[in-house]
Amino acid sequence: MTDFKQLRLNRRAFMGGVMGASILGTTSALGAATPAGARAVAFTGSGAVAIGDAFLTSEDGGASWRQGARPDRKLVALATHPERPNRLIVALEDGGVAVSHNEGKRLVPAGRGLPATEIGALATAARLPDTLYAAIPGDGLWRSEDAGESWDFVMDRPFIAGEERDVLSLASVDLASGMGGIWLYGGSTGGLQRVPDCFCRWQDVQPEHALDALIEGATAPDTVPLPSGEPVRALISSPAAPNRLWAALPSGIWATADAGLIWGKANSLVATTLASEPTNPDTLIAASPEGLWHSRDAGLTWATSTIL
Amino acid sequence: MSEGHPAKGSEGRRVAGLLAAATLAATSASGAATGSPVEVTFLGAPSSAETIATGEVLYAEHCAACHGENREGQPDWRRRLDTGRMPAPPQDGSGHSFTHSDAHLFAMTKSGIEAVVPGYESDMPAFEDILGDAEIIAILSFVKANWPEAKRIFQAGLPGMDKGTSGQ
Ligand code: HEC
Repeated sequence: MTDFKQLRLNRRAFMGGVMGASILGTTSALGAATPAGARAVAFTGSGAVAIGDAFLTSEDGGASWRQGARPDRKLVALATHPERPNRLIVALEDGGVAVSHNEGKRLVPAGRGLPATEIGALATAARLPDTLYAAIPGDGLWRSEDAGESWDFVMDRPFIAGEERDVLSLASVDLASGMGGIWLYGGSTGGLQRVPDCFCRWQDVQPEHALDALIEGATAPDTVPLPSGEPVRALISSPAAPNRLWAALPSGIWATADAGLIWGKANSLVATTLASEPTNPDTLIAASPEGLWHSRDAGLTWATSTIL
Repeated sequence: MSEGHPAKGSEGRRVAGLLAAATLAATSASGAATGSPVEVTFLGAPSSAETIATGEVLYAEHCAACHGENREGQPDWRRRLDTGRMPAPPQDGSGHSFTHSDAHLFAMTKSGIEAVVPGYESDMPAFEDILGDAEIIAILSFVKANWPEAKRIFQAGLPGMDKGTSGQ
């Protein structure tokens, strides 16, 4: 993980970027607006997809979209993986998952073992393309190790400020947990926590030397957490730069360059879902209640996307 | 083995501090052991059959009430109790004990889970006033001796296991 000196540098660079953002804001495009109601966006082998009320595909990183064939079930969450370029795993309205091996043209029901409750968040494990995680409201975290076919309960919900919290967003973050695996970050109704992928315990994101500082009476390294009390509706980590994460809150899109120790507001766009292009951390897609957006500067500025 | 390298990982130095004494205890616990049948080590030192047998007795006395007579954990241990805290997980290799280095297992048993996750609240007691370092090592040696081989191999590959100190 990043050492503290490096964090300070990152922070300065980062805050500089944040200042710029408030001036630039968001811009509207000239073409026709994308439809509202996207529940999830993701990058695939050939571009990007957006699911929800409509099924849209993009070949230019989310700048422009085309209407795809609408599946017969309404889709509420989406998971892809760079090593499975044509595969989409989707969560269905009212519960369950389905798998497509041709970017959504045909969906095959899967999800043996999952409760018949609508999934709140779905993610693919960064290092294991056939391992998926699903968060179920009022229940907890489930894992599939066979690309969505069968599922097991692995962990209860996070407990934050005296309450169990539903996980609204999940991101598998390709950084070593020190426990033989990597981290799974969960954005909940009560804020952000993470759990090692061995599922021993949900915990706050803490600097590496927090405990030393406590013991030795030294000042703990700075952390600037996400604003408390806001739900974390979407959460992503860049596959190309896993310590860079973005979170969508009601107050806007927040970003971190140090795996979640120091967060800063990147833009006030009120997004409900986010996606990061697997090879380029600057290229992001978002959906807001108004439609689809894209950013080419890591979320500092956003432009409305158009429909072709 | 205990050169006092401040381990790089979280809580590394704290754990390393706890370990200075523990490593000595581990070395003396192993005594002149010629290797136990299952070749268990703790903090880099082999655990003798005697140590493991002592650990079995101490486990029954101090740990079984929560972690289960056969180390099976509390029922439904993946789901929180009404208090919001987690139940005691299995120690038989079906839980997640084997994803913790020896240093972390030792630190959690001696000082509670908050020794590795600052500020974490749990029902796992700290045993520092109840058990000596050598006794903790004996218990954890017994626990490790009864993990499936594959879990012991997994654990042996964790960060910090090569030096007998924690690290990430
Ligand atoms: C009063 C009940 C109780 C007793 C007695 C108890 N534990 Fe625990 N232990 C727990 C609980 C509960 C947890 C889970 C804490 C959490 O993660 O929230 C736990 C977790 C652990 C962990 C970390 C999780 C894991 O599986 O690695 C270790 C190691 C551990 N206990 C070892 C011991 C040992 C060794 C003893 C006996 C010396 C012992 N415990 C006695 C309740 C207990």
